[in-house]
Amino acid sequence: MAQVPVQTIHRDPQLFYWILFPITAVMILTGVLRHYATVLMASAAKKLDQKTMREQRSLLHGINVRGNSHALSKRSFTARRDALITAYESGAYLKDPERRGQAPPNPMSDPSSMEGMMGMMKNQMAMIIPNTLIMSWINAFFSGYVIMKLPFPLTIKFKSMLQAGVATKDMDPRWMSSISWYFLCIFGLQPVFNFLLGSDNAASQMAQQMGGMAPNAGQMFGPGVDPDKQFLAEAENLAVIEHYSVLDGVEQRLLEGIKV
Amino acid sequence: MTSPPVQLQAITPSLPTRRDKAVAPFRIMTWISKTITLLGAVLLGHACYSAQEHSALQSFKAATTTLTSTSAVASLPIDIAIETVVATLVILLGLVLGTRPLRPIQWNVWAGKIEREGEEGFLDSEGEMNRDFVGNPFSFLETRPGFVDIRKQRKEFAGWIKNSGPQ
Amino acid sequence: MSSERELQISPIVQEAVMNNSKTLYNLQSLTASLFGVGAGILGLESYSGFLFYVVCSLLTTMLFYVLRVAPTSLPSGKAAFDASRYFRSQFEFWTGGLMNGLAGFILTWTLFYGLVRA
Repeated sequence: MAQVPVQTIHRDPQLFYWILFPITAVMILTGVLRHYATVLMASAAKKLDQKTMREQRSLLHGINVRGNSHALSKRSFTARRDALITAYESGAYLKDPERRGQAPPNPMSDPSSMEGMMGMMKNQMAMIIPNTLIMSWINAFFSGYVIMKLPFPLTIKFKSMLQAGVATKDMDPRWMSSISWYFLCIFGLQPVFNFLLGSDNAASQMAQQMGGMAPNAGQMFGPGVDPDKQFLAEAENLAVIEHYSVLDGVEQRLLEGIKV
Repeated sequence: MTSPPVQLQAITPSLPTRRDKAVAPFRIMTWISKTITLLGAVLLGHACYSAQEHSALQSFKAATTTLTSTSAVASLPIDIAIETVVATLVILLGLVLGTRPLRPIQWNVWAGKIEREGEEGFLDSEGEMNRDFVGNPFSFLETRPGFVDIRKQRKEFAGWIKNSGPQ
Repeated sequence: MSSERELQISPIVQEAVMNNSKTLYNLQSLTASLFGVGAGILGLESYSGFLFYVVCSLLTTMLFYVLRVAPTSLPSGKAAFDASRYFRSQFEFWTGGLMNGLAGFILTWTLFYGLVRA
């Protein structure tokens, strides 16, 4: 690589004004638009009827008792555990106890579960549609221009990606066309959105992908999950807990902490 | 059951004075930070403009004198380089000075800080309350039925009645 | 088990952890773009540019430690360069900035490299 003389291409400065800045401005504005579109389209949490709410909350109650058992004394933990296990196993908290043991209904036929899917679809659409539009816009108007040179060398493999639309065999892969500036913008504009919209904005695609991975409460009570099975599993989890309290030996720790 | 509003009445008059005292150092800090950042940005903009002019001049010279000098473009005058580095460091200093104050993550340290400093430890650089500020984590203990000091509240209520009575 | 008990005896405030890491993240992503501008104006290429980035982002974390963490961390009995008063993971505190800002750095580096070397 070092023997090859450095390629220099004299580019018209107008390329910057008519290609680089429009793409960057459109990318930033699309991010801002996407943020506000997501904020506007966010549907308020749907109201649940009393039975469903009781079912979900009592399951959460069991999980919280299990998670915070160390903060309870032995006696109160045992009392809570016994009460919860009996209620779970008898199905006292179920939404419709007579349907116990039957197969859960098809999630597609349940209108309440369709709502949640529509919400996810809307979010996905808000990401996919602008990206597709901008990409085809760039391909239609700006393909075939070499606008920039990357400051670091790349292998020849990147040539087809960076120089899409520029059919020149001998050009250094460091030269990049407008479509690769678009890709750089997708990944690199995150700090700009942070600065413009605050750090928890919806413009960033990376953050949304991260958020999609984390399990949330909506998935736990999602369609197609049999609540009875969840209750039974939770009762089993509660039954096997080996209880201890953080207050065990607290006098000892306090005396150790006091320095005369 | 009428005690909570009374308690609020008793507490709110003391709040603004505390706020005013707290706001002043943050105002100064954010003012310093913004000035430094602006100064650095001006320096950086000037350096950028100089470098751009320099390279334009070089390429113009190379084009006119027909000398094959590709290395001339690569070298940047040392003063522009120094200006760039200094400007970067100055902006960096300004940005670091402008960050929000941190909070201790251990619960006992954090609660101790709240008890000692009150709410002023949670004002951001603008002197305003953070959006995600959740308040004193132990304040709910005060309203818990087992811990309510009913005699003290009755005394406060009597004092409030007496003070606001003549008006 | 013993570390879990330690955590239960002296719990961690989640909001404070979020607040601190968000503060650090915002600072790092903003300064990474700034370093990109600097590297582009200086006309750095390939390895020297990345070296510039690594050095500068370590400097950022260092400055952040000195100005924000050390004044309250050292009196409370922590060792020097120990940010455990405000951050759970030491490794993340010192090296997290390298990954956070890399994309922003490359974007502004390329942009200003192209603008200056027109």
